[in-house]
Amino acid sequence: MGGRRWTIAGATAVAALLGCGPAHVTAAYAIDAAVIAAAKKEGEVVWYSTQIINQLVRPVAAAFEKKYPGIKVRYTRANANEVAVKILNESRAGRPQSDVFDGTSTVVPLKQEGYVLQWQPDAAKAYPDLYKDPEGYWVTSNLYINTPGYNTSLVPQGTQPRTYEDLLDPKWRGKMAWNALPSASGGVGFVGTVLAEMGEPKGMAYLRAFSKQRVANVAAAAREVLDQVIAGEYAIGLQIFNHHAVISAKKGAPVDWIKMEPATGTLSVIAIHKNAPHPNAAKLLVDFIISKEGQEIYRDADYLTADPAVPARDPTLKPEDGHFRVRFFPPEAIEDNLPKWKQIFDDLFG
Amino acid sequence: MTFSAESQSRPRSSARQTTWIAALLIVVLAALVVPPLIFLLQGSVLIAGAPNEATHWGLENFQNVLGGRRFVATTLNSLSFAAGSAAIALVVGWIMAWIVERTNAPLKGLAYVTAIISLGTPYILYVSAWLLVFGKAGPVNQLYRTLTGASDVLINIYSMPGMVLVEGFLWSPLAFLLVGATLRNANPELEEAARVSGAGVWATIRRITMRLSLPAIMALSMLVFIRAIEAFEVPALVGLPGRISVLTTDIYTNMMARAPPDLGGSSALSVLMLLLVLVLLYVYAGLSRHAERFATITGKGFRPRPFDLGRLRYVAAAILAVDFVLLLMVPMLMLAWISLLPFFAPVSAASFKLISLANYRTVLASDHVELMINTMLVAVATATIAVALTFLAAWLAVRRAPGGWLVERLATIPLVFPGLVLGVAVMQVFLRLPIPLYGTIGILIWAFVINYLPYGMRYSSSGMLQIHRELEEAAAVCGASALTRLRRIVAPLLAPALVAGWLFIFLMATRVLSLAILLAGPRSQTMAVAMFDLCGNGQGTELAALGLMWSMLMALISVVFYFMARRSAAGAMGRA
Repeated sequence: MGGRRWTIAGATAVAALLGCGPAHVTAAYAIDAAVIAAAKKEGEVVWYSTQIINQLVRPVAAAFEKKYPGIKVRYTRANANEVAVKILNESRAGRPQSDVFDGTSTVVPLKQEGYVLQWQPDAAKAYPDLYKDPEGYWVTSNLYINTPGYNTSLVPQGTQPRTYEDLLDPKWRGKMAWNALPSASGGVGFVGTVLAEMGEPKGMAYLRAFSKQRVANVAAAAREVLDQVIAGEYAIGLQIFNHHAVISAKKGAPVDWIKMEPATGTLSVIAIHKNAPHPNAAKLLVDFIISKEGQEIYRDADYLTADPAVPARDPTLKPEDGHFRVRFFPPEAIEDNLPKWKQIFDDLFG
Repeated sequence: MTFSAESQSRPRSSARQTTWIAALLIVVLAALVVPPLIFLLQGSVLIAGAPNEATHWGLENFQNVLGGRRFVATTLNSLSFAAGSAAIALVVGWIMAWIVERTNAPLKGLAYVTAIISLGTPYILYVSAWLLVFGKAGPVNQLYRTLTGASDVLINIYSMPGMVLVEGFLWSPLAFLLVGATLRNANPELEEAARVSGAGVWATIRRITMRLSLPAIMALSMLVFIRAIEAFEVPALVGLPGRISVLTTDIYTNMMARAPPDLGGSSALSVLMLLLVLVLLYVYAGLSRHAERFATITGKGFRPRPFDLGRLRYVAAAILAVDFVLLLMVPMLMLAWISLLPFFAPVSAASFKLISLANYRTVLASDHVELMINTMLVAVATATIAVALTFLAAWLAVRRAPGGWLVERLATIPLVFPGLVLGVAVMQVFLRLPIPLYGTIGILIWAFVINYLPYGMRYSSSGMLQIHRELEEAAAVCGASALTRLRRIVAPLLAPALVAGWLFIFLMATRVLSLAILLAGPRSQTMAVAMFDLCGNGQGTELAALGLMWSMLMALISVVFYFMARRSAAGAMGRA
C-alpha cells in the first residue's frame, strides 16, 4: 500500500501542481530582510554535497554569491554514504561543520539522531507532496530517474526491449550490465522496483526468471555502466540515468534510453543541519536552490529539476512532460528497504 | 687507563643516545598508530542497535564475517587472488630489477620510466584502460574476431586469471623499485666468486643473487599479499562482472547497503587481518634473525660490476621492452585514445572522425591551481615525514636496538587499516582532541603518513638489512655518537632505498582517492576531488585527459628528483 504513495504519473504530478497544497507540512518560512541581514553577518555557508562540483555546485555558488554579496559558499563533495559518515561524526563530537547537505539517503540517519532542522522554504509550497518530507525536514532539489539504456549500433532503434517482460527474451542473455553496488541506480534498485510494482510473489518469480539472463555486475557507478554500453562492451545497460544517455547522445554517442514503465525514481533532497554554524545563510541557500532561479541553474546543468514549473532541458526526461510512469522511492523508503533488496540481489544475481 | 675509560664511556653514552631515539620514536609512532587501532578494535566488537537503541558489545561482526554467504569459497578466492598477485608482482619485479641493476642489458631506462609513470597514474584509470584493451569490445578481442570470424572472445579478462594478472602487474613497479634498491647495493664479490668457481649465470642467480635478496622478497611478498587480500578496486572492477567475489567485495557491498555504512564488518575483517599480519611478522622475524648473512655493504670497498650477458643481453632488453609495452604503452595509448574522444568508443575507423583536443582544453580551462598546490603539499609532506620516521625505525629494528621490535610492529600495523576505517578513525581523533587540524590539509597529511608507514618501512628496512654493522662499529670505536653514525654512515648508504621509498609514497599520495575524499574539508580540497568528480560524472574522457597530464607532471617531477637524489647519493658514497 505504501508503494502507491511513491508512484507518480504525469497526471498526478500536474494535479499536485495545480491544486492540492501541502496541507500537513510544517509551516514554511519566508525569507525576510532580517534573515538576509543575519546571513550576511555570518558571512559564509558550508555545503556538503553529493552533486558534481564543476557542473552544479560551482555555478549555484557563483549565482548565490552574486545575489547575496558578502556570503561565501564553501563546499566539499563525497558520496551520500561518506557525507553521512562525516556529518554524523562531526555532530556526535559536538563540532558540526556543515550548514547544508544533500543526497538521496544521507538525511535519514541524521534525522534519526536529531541533527536535521525542521524547515522548508516558501518556494517548496509549489512542489508536489512527494518531493518534500511530510514532517518538514527535507525538500527535493532534483530527481534521478533510472531506466534501461542501449547501444544503438548494436541494437537498432525499434528492436530495443520496451517492457520488463521483453527483458526476459533469451536473445539478451549475457548482453546486459548493471551497477552491482548497493544503490537504487543498480541491480539492487531494479529488484526494489520490480518487487514494489509486481508485489512479492509475482515479483520474486520474475526476478528468478530474470536471473537466468546473466546480467554482468559492474561495480562502478551507473554512469560507467553506460560508458561501457557506449563502448560496445554490453548492448543494454539497466538502471542507467536517463539524462546521462541524452547528454552522451547529444555528443554523438550511439545510445538511447528506454521509457520502461515503471522507471525507478529517487530524490536528491536538501536539508539544513540543526546546529548549523551559519543557520541564516543556510536557510538563504536552501531557499535559493528551491526557488525558480536556483532550479534554472539545475536545469542548465542538465539535471532533472524538482520544481514542476521548471521543465528539464530535454523535457521528455521528466515523467510529467515525457508522459511515463516512475516509481519514486523517497529517502526513508530507500533506507528501510535497501538491505532487504540487497539480500535478494545477492541471492539471485551475486 | 684514561684511554680505556674513554673508550668505555663513549659506547655507553652512544647507547644512551640510541635509547633516547628509540623512546622518542615509539612515542611518535604510538601517537600515530594506536588511536586508529583502538578505534578499529572497538569498532569490531561494538554492535549498533536499531535506531534510537543503545549499542552493545558482541562478536556479531566476527560471526557475520566468518559465517557470511559462501564464506569458504570467498576466502579461497581471496587467498588464491592474493597469492597469485604477489607471485606475479614479485617475479616480474625481480626479473626487471635484476636486469636493470645487475646486467649490461641495454634499454634500462625503460624500466624506470615504466615504473614511475605507472605509479603516478590514478588506479581507476589504469585498470579501466586495461579493461578497455582486453575487454569484449577491446582491440585484442576485436582483432581475434576479425581474423577468425568467431563470435566469442579470445581473452576473458573478467576471470580469476584476469584479476590476478591485473593486480600483479599493478604491484610490479613497487616490487621492481624495492628489489632494485636491494640489488643495487648487493656485493658483487660473491657473484664473481661463484662464477670464478665455475657456476653458470643461472646457478649464480639461483644460489647467490636470489638468496641475497631473500629478505627483501619476503618482506615484499608479505606486503603485496596483505594488500591484495584487502584490495577492492581490481576485485570490484574485474572480478564482480565475472561473478567472482572475494572477501572485500562482499564486505564492502554489505557495509554500503546502509547509510551510514556499517563499519563493524569491515573492522572485524581488519582485526582478523591484524592477527594474520602479526603471525607473518613473527615468521618474518625468524627468517631475518640472522640478518647479517644478507649484509653485503661491509667495510670492504666494492664496486658493483654488471653481469656480462653476452648475446643474451638482447633477450633481456626484449623483456624490458615487453614490460614497457604491456605496463605502460598499452594502457597509456588507450588513455590517450579515450582522452581525444567525446565519449568512450572502441578503436575503429568510424571513431577516428571524433578525435579532438576538446577534453584537454576543458581541463586546462578549469581552475585546478589550488587543488594542485594542496595535493603537492600533502604528498611532499607525507613522503618526507614517512621516510624520516621509517629511516629511524628501520635502523632501530634491524640493529636490534632496545625497543626495536616494538618500533617495527608499530610501523607495520597500519597495513591492516582499510581506507574508510582509517579515515573515520583519524576523523574521530581530531574531532575529540583540542588540536585544530580538522578540516585542514594537516589531517590529510596525518592520515597519509599512517597509511604509508608500512611502505616506508619496507623500503628502509630491506635497504638497512644490507648494511653490515661493522661500518657503524668502526665509527663507534672512533668515537662517533649514534646520531653522527646515522648522519654520516647509515643515511648516505641507505640513500637509494630512501629515495625510492620517498618517490613511491609521494606518487601514491598524489593519487589516492578514498582517504582524501573523506577527510578533505571545504578549505582543503585536493586533486583527488577533481578526479572523483569527473569519474562519477561520466566525464571519463575528460578524466583520461586530466589523468594523463597529471601523471606526466608527476613523472617529470619524480625523474628530476630521482636523478638529483641519485647523484648526491652517489657522491656521498664516493662513486660518481
